[in-house]
Amino acid sequence: MKIIVSVKNVTKDYALGKVTVPALRGVSLDVEEGEFLSIAGPSGSGKTTLLNLIGCVDTPTSGTVAVAGKDTRSLSERALTELRLNTIGFIFQSFNLVSVLSVFQNVELPLLLQRKLPKPERRSRVMALLERVGLGDHASHRPSELSGGQRQRVAIARALVTRPQLVLADEPTANLDSVTGQNILDVMKELNRTERTTFIFSTHDAKVMANATTVVRLADGKLVDRLTGPEAVAASVSRPVPVVGAVRESTK
Amino acid sequence: MSGNLSALGVIAQIAFRNLFASRLKTIIVGGIIFFGAFLVVVGTSFLDSIDQGMSRSITGSVAGHIQVYSSQSKDELAVMGGFDMEGANLAQLDDFTKLRDTILSVPNVKAVVPMGINGALVTSGNSIDVALAGLRDLARKKVAGTATAADVAAYQASKGHLRQILTVLQGDIKNLGQLHDERTLSADDAAAVTRAASEDFWRHFDQDPMDGLEFLENRIAPQATDADMLFLRYVGTDPESFAQSFDRMRIVDGTTIPRGKRGFLFAKFTYEDQVKLKTARRLDKIKQARDDRGVKIAKDSELQRFVKENSNQVREILLQLDAPKTDLFRQKLQAKLSSRETDVAKLLSELFRTDDQNFDDRYRFFYDELAPSLQLYRVRIGDNLTIKAFTRSGYVQSVNLPVYGTFNFSGLEKSPQAGALSLMDMVSFRELYGFLTADREKEILALKAAMNAKDVSRENAEAELFGTKPPEAEAPARPVPSSRMVPTGRTVVAEATPGVHQAESVGAEGFGARMVREDLTKRIYDPAQLQSGVVLNAAVILKDPRKISQSINDIEAAGRKAGLPLKAITWQKASGLIGQFVTMMRAVLYTAVLIIFVVALVIINNALVMATLERVRELGTLRAIGAQRRFILAMLVIEALVVGLIFGAAGAGVGAALVTVIGKVGIPAKNDIFYFFFSGPRLHPAIATNNLVGALAIVMLVSGLSGLYPAWLAMRVTPRQAMQSED
Repeated sequence: MKIIVSVKNVTKDYALGKVTVPALRGVSLDVEEGEFLSIAGPSGSGKTTLLNLIGCVDTPTSGTVAVAGKDTRSLSERALTELRLNTIGFIFQSFNLVSVLSVFQNVELPLLLQRKLPKPERRSRVMALLERVGLGDHASHRPSELSGGQRQRVAIARALVTRPQLVLADEPTANLDSVTGQNILDVMKELNRTERTTFIFSTHDAKVMANATTVVRLADGKLVDRLTGPEAVAASVSRPVPVVGAVRESTK
Repeated sequence: MSGNLSALGVIAQIAFRNLFASRLKTIIVGGIIFFGAFLVVVGTSFLDSIDQGMSRSITGSVAGHIQVYSSQSKDELAVMGGFDMEGANLAQLDDFTKLRDTILSVPNVKAVVPMGINGALVTSGNSIDVALAGLRDLARKKVAGTATAADVAAYQASKGHLRQILTVLQGDIKNLGQLHDERTLSADDAAAVTRAASEDFWRHFDQDPMDGLEFLENRIAPQATDADMLFLRYVGTDPESFAQSFDRMRIVDGTTIPRGKRGFLFAKFTYEDQVKLKTARRLDKIKQARDDRGVKIAKDSELQRFVKENSNQVREILLQLDAPKTDLFRQKLQAKLSSRETDVAKLLSELFRTDDQNFDDRYRFFYDELAPSLQLYRVRIGDNLTIKAFTRSGYVQSVNLPVYGTFNFSGLEKSPQAGALSLMDMVSFRELYGFLTADREKEILALKAAMNAKDVSRENAEAELFGTKPPEAEAPARPVPSSRMVPTGRTVVAEATPGVHQAESVGAEGFGARMVREDLTKRIYDPAQLQSGVVLNAAVILKDPRKISQSINDIEAAGRKAGLPLKAITWQKASGLIGQFVTMMRAVLYTAVLIIFVVALVIINNALVMATLERVRELGTLRAIGAQRRFILAMLVIEALVVGLIFGAAGAGVGAALVTVIGKVGIPAKNDIFYFFFSGPRLHPAIATNNLVGALAIVMLVSGLSGLYPAWLAMRVTPRQAMQSED
């Protein structure tokens, strides 16, 4: 299997005023192509930081992150942006659609930024994806006219429209009720299966974790374990993530 | 390529929709831009129109496009400025012919008009002087026995008029006595008036009119205080080329100064304002204000003052009335006012106590019934005007000039600025200014000959005066070389002693002057002589006025080449403060615009910063999904430009529409000064392309500038900020 993401000995420190707060303290992780991987852990465990490093919106303090074979620390800001545009799709917790654009335009936006496809192809690809997420007849709606689940499906379509090798989703279901959330996960799983797109999503929700083929558990900036298959499912149900040090947070 | 276009399209679409989405911000920012563009368009087009109007006024009246004078002058030339009596101290330019030819060698020059501007005091003479002069003529005929029956009748009427004047003076004395005024007449003067008003005096008058006149002239005439000093500013020029070059010049009354003759033309405005009977002038002003501006006497304090002054100051009219006219006025006024009052002064006072209801009626009555019996102008067309001026060297020089007529500049009839300069021939001007003209020279020669005077040099004065050397053969003095113009002040001229000189009385007039006086005004001068003499400055008319600065350089260069010390200035400069008016207004406008735009910059900047901060997550998302920084920048710039363009264009459009509408209707000139600025009774502002382009450019610049900081903020938004949850 091809390794699409390779994280090696990564640390990430944030400066909070004069204090340096370590968010990641030496994490190593390989993600293979086609995985449906969940990063789990309580708030403050470093999930989002790890996801940001993988998503090229941030660079590590030490260690290396390689996405699609490219070391992100060696890339310029522009090149990172290019990488995000062409290789990675993003799904956000709060959907982050451009409110002034229609559903169709939101999905088309990455293609426009890519400037590769002519208009008819863009159109057919956008419409096909919208059909896939079940919003074919909502193309001309504005995001404000849609429900939360519908918006997140638009976001999924937008993340997939460039046919990225990797889709990152930061707590994609946190703002949705459980039925809708499961619905979204089903769509993602379906796309993972048919398109062979690698999905990495963070969550602290055991039910969400249960959908993953691989679960990577973080605590206090460190990797706790990496479980795959039935083990992962079992872990998500029975084994709570150990709480280390001062970080104490209840899961929602 | 199509991707590029589509990207731009989506940027524009995001920009447009964002504008709609945040309407309040758009309206605030757009409103400011709208107002700014509107102000710039309206303001600049108005100023441009006034500029053009003034340019027409000034260039079309006296200044021409360029004024040329000697660079050796102590002062700067001010054609319209300088309201003081002392004109600018300019060095003379000796030979106008050479000057003209030099300037004409510049291709863009159409015409050159010789000029000199100066001011002088003119005593117009009082009513007694005028009446006495008439009576003296008639008495002389009577004594000589050449009087006709008509003359005798006129003589009697004239006597009657004088007695009428004496009655008025007696009334004055009585009033002054009551007032215990500082100016209380001396007992002697009062006695003189009493004597002159007595029956006894007039019984003896017929026996020896000259003796009686002597008494009246010496003792009574100085007591009449209605004589006014007129201060005239005039331009000495060649009337013919002046009229040709300033084609807005129109002769209003009389004729122009005939070719080659000496003479004077009153500026119509000055003539009306200063020479006309004050009562009549005030009536005119009231009528004008009512008719042209719709002002009501009841509401306007200035008009009320005019009415009051007219009603209180009837003496000027009374002094003009002899006995028959007094009777006539009494009858007419009694009928008109249905009054039984017999005192004409009170009747006149009543007549002029006008209000909005009866003004037009009484105005007509005055002009139809009374004015024909009055001398409306102190100086009439055809009269001789004695002008006294201080020469550069401090002498009082005086010249008698026939008044040929009045003139104005069409469109500027009511402008005191364009109507402030009267006109005289160049020869008289030179004489008044103190240049030695050919006539003066001849007069001096005649004087010298008559007095057997000759030039005496310091070195051999003793020999010359006491005759140790044999006297020179001939009496006539060496002629002064006519090529060199020697200011009179430096020449020995007996009659020109300052202070003693009194032009009015024949006794003090120069002997030589008397000899040449008679034919001077009748003489026709050779145009060549008029052209060749000294001038102070010259107006230059250009073929293409737009190339004014180029032409100024060319003229000065031509001057240097020809050895003439020429300084050329624009009409703006030449017209002094007035010419700078538009520049000043422009400075005020631009300052206002600048302040508005600085404020706008701050407000717009704030609004955009707020908008950017609100959109951090959206911008972060765009960055996360792969938008480069320049995409964000382009988006914000387009937003700012769209607002700037739409609202700026709207503001400019509304401004242009307003200016066009106003331009059709025209703004009425509220008062005489505006006539000058508007170059006519109404200002018709017009929109020029540069007004619009300028306004849009400024607006775009301001909205661009105010978008800089927010755009910089926006570009610093990281994709990580897209991940932050809403709370």
